[in-house]
Amino acid sequence: MTNFVVKPGVKNLQHDDEKLVTTHCCYCGMQCGMHIRVNKKSGDVVGVEPRYDWPVTNGKMCPKGVTAYQTIDHPDRIKTPLIKKNGKFVESTWEEALDLIEKNYKRLQSHYGKDALSVFGGVSMTNEKCYLVGKYARVALGTRYVDYNGRFCMSSAAGGFMKTLGLDRGSTLPWPELEHTDCFFMAGTNTAECHPTTIQWLWKARDKGAKMIVADPRETPTARIADVHLDLKAGTDSALANGIMHLLIKEGYVDEAYVQARCHNYEELKEGVRAFTPERTAIITGVDKEKILKAATIFGRSPRSVVMFARGIEQQRKGVDNVCLYTSMALLRGQIGKFASGVATFTGQGNGQGGREHGQKADALPGYRKIDNPEHVAYVSDVWGIDPKEMPQAGVSAYEMFDHIQQGKIKAMHVICSNPAVSAPNNHYIWDGFEKLDFMVVSDFFLSETAEFADVVLPATTWAEDEGTTTNLEGRVIRIRKVKEPVGEAKTDWEIMQLIAERMGKKSYFPYKSVSDIYEEFRLASKGGKADYYGITYDRIEKEDGVFWPCPDDTHPGSPTMFTDSFATEDGKANLAVVGWEEPDEIPSADYPHILTTGRVVFHYLSGTQTRRTPFLMEQCPEPYAEIHPDMAVKYHLNNGDRVVLITKRGEITVPIKLTKAIRRDHIFVPYHWGKELSINKLTNPALDPTSRMPEFKVCAVRMQKA
Amino acid sequence: MKKVMYLEFERCIGCRACQAACRECGGHDAKERNYVEYVDFLENRQTYPMLCMQCKDPACAKVCPANAIQITEEGVVLSAMEEKCIGCRNCTFGCPFGIPKFDFEENKMYKCDMCYDRTKYDIAPMCASVCPSEAIRFIDHDEMMSLRRRRTQLNLIEGKKPSEHDKWAYVPEFFGVYSD
Repeated sequence: MTNFVVKPGVKNLQHDDEKLVTTHCCYCGMQCGMHIRVNKKSGDVVGVEPRYDWPVTNGKMCPKGVTAYQTIDHPDRIKTPLIKKNGKFVESTWEEALDLIEKNYKRLQSHYGKDALSVFGGVSMTNEKCYLVGKYARVALGTRYVDYNGRFCMSSAAGGFMKTLGLDRGSTLPWPELEHTDCFFMAGTNTAECHPTTIQWLWKARDKGAKMIVADPRETPTARIADVHLDLKAGTDSALANGIMHLLIKEGYVDEAYVQARCHNYEELKEGVRAFTPERTAIITGVDKEKILKAATIFGRSPRSVVMFARGIEQQRKGVDNVCLYTSMALLRGQIGKFASGVATFTGQGNGQGGREHGQKADALPGYRKIDNPEHVAYVSDVWGIDPKEMPQAGVSAYEMFDHIQQGKIKAMHVICSNPAVSAPNNHYIWDGFEKLDFMVVSDFFLSETAEFADVVLPATTWAEDEGTTTNLEGRVIRIRKVKEPVGEAKTDWEIMQLIAERMGKKSYFPYKSVSDIYEEFRLASKGGKADYYGITYDRIEKEDGVFWPCPDDTHPGSPTMFTDSFATEDGKANLAVVGWEEPDEIPSADYPHILTTGRVVFHYLSGTQTRRTPFLMEQCPEPYAEIHPDMAVKYHLNNGDRVVLITKRGEITVPIKLTKAIRRDHIFVPYHWGKELSINKLTNPALDPTSRMPEFKVCAVRMQKA
Repeated sequence: MKKVMYLEFERCIGCRACQAACRECGGHDAKERNYVEYVDFLENRQTYPMLCMQCKDPACAKVCPANAIQITEEGVVLSAMEEKCIGCRNCTFGCPFGIPKFDFEENKMYKCDMCYDRTKYDIAPMCASVCPSEAIRFIDHDEMMSLRRRRTQLNLIEGKKPSEHDKWAYVPEFFGVYSD
């Protein structure tokens, strides 16, 4: 039997033939701290051990975190480059693959111009890689067309925070402070399934008497424990938030001094919410009037409250408006910039926060600079060593890139660490776009549904085979450590971009020998921007359990609590949102009588590429299903487990049903982590938010029939 | 080992991290020895974790004809010893909580051993370590008693005490297992 060593003070179990590598989970924005167990002799990953001393999660992990290490040495890993020949992938050498890429990229650019190429990035990568994607597209390929999958996930929150607070830092407070909060107003967030390790903080607060209000069409595991569950119709969030603000003003719960001193538009807001009486709000949202009154009273009377939201309110055609309104609720109560109170969105992907600040967005440059601002372009051009005139202009958002493919403007795409074939709405359109491309490259470590369309697949590394930094949902910059050497001939994404840049004749702009070289350049590129990482070094992250941005210099302590004195707008005042309510893009009709909404289950994440390959997770939830209310089932003469066909204007899917009273009678819920014939995103609506360009995943009209 | 396993059912969010973590324990051969169940999925999403109660006078050990189920000096009830187990499965029938399972391929019984390789060093079992909602905790006996008292008081304040006619609507919200 192995001898066990317990290091004094560390409280971790360590086998004597193993070492523990301290890192963070690869899935959601919680970035739970963990140790990966590595065999000292073979270097193989053998398991996971909780990290009790990580202040955000205290050793807690969800089932995805516990099993995350199992993807590292998974037999499905792509170990060599693959080239499609006669419709089938054959293994190739790196030289052969890079030759093909170089030949095709140069051919297309000479025929159609530089903008014929495009890059589709992701935010499950380190900050260093995300930063490099923007530079790779604009410097190595010289194209304006770069965007990323955060458009399907985070951009409405970013847009809303920018409008109201002047800066997009997903949370205005550090997570451990949640323990001291008195009231949580949670809208469109199923925290218990999507960010489970947050629940410990909610329970700690509730043990002290904190109240919880949850707005969600389903009685999710989060809503189940709420004091008030506002079971609103999907797509009516703006009406609910306006209704709550109406009551806050009417009942005198507004922090008048705070609002007068720190906010614009208060008088306009008063006028704007006048029409949202509890009666009218109840009619629009479908929520019982008494529950709205109770929620407003609890929220209004709580000395310290946090408004939290997630994809439920953001993945809508009016997602930015929703974010602005919920943020305004917190502003009216004077909660932003205080201890244990504020506003927060739950970042989806692991580096959803950091990945959106460093220039992967079509219109953004590192440090949240804008590509249409000549001063910003001049600064970043200087760091990159290019002429500002060479900096491409703003491109288009993720979904709109597929419009450009259909129109023949984009001829080639390099997809890095993303799987839009599953995660984008209106799947058929995306698949058709991939077919139309002249040339397609995918860097990934599994053959994802997107990679199957590619001409060349480049084997990338998992998060455990590289190092760097990510930024968790609090805004805390943390270290990801290398656990083992890459499998087979896999290379890190930054090495891959560097190799292609070299082939495109831009080697001198990508002179990196290690990740820290990239990080040093990235610090400089973000310096002076709204998302300023300049003062954050690897050493500081190590010593201080992560550092919160903005952190402009070495002596700056970082910014755990945001907006303590002023907001990031020009005059330092926040802009209260004066927005009414508009119906979703699609409303139920005679042909499509129900509302379809989508979401996550606790066992899967991202597009399921990794979680569907993890035995434990797949055993728990092997296929998608439609959750419907028993009353709806009676009308269709359905029993639990019967298969139904769900049909929208864009496609159809056949799934079994699960009956539960924990959903509204007029809604159907389907989780979305499966591809091809099981992809619910064949049905979802690509109507885009005018500001964030985020599609309306969360609500569309659907018809159901027995299969 | 001075600590006890403390379960608070209401906190359970049904994520099954405890089951995934149980597979990570030493010698578990990637099989979980704890379970999570829905109370009634048709009604709502209340789930509850089911762990070995580590009984003081365990039925599984009592009905074992080969005396293969050992109890450590700390009171932890271990899986059947392979060299003694005769594969009769009496333990699986004897346990009122359905905890012991029989592996027909390996021809051996397995059950929660409270992560004895961890708990003997006062390190929490994997399930309690990772449980994101702290529905499963590994805490001092005194802490457990104070939590029980506080929970009872809160239930009374919130009027949560079940009466005779609706007692089945209530799930037991806590119980502690201790071995002193």
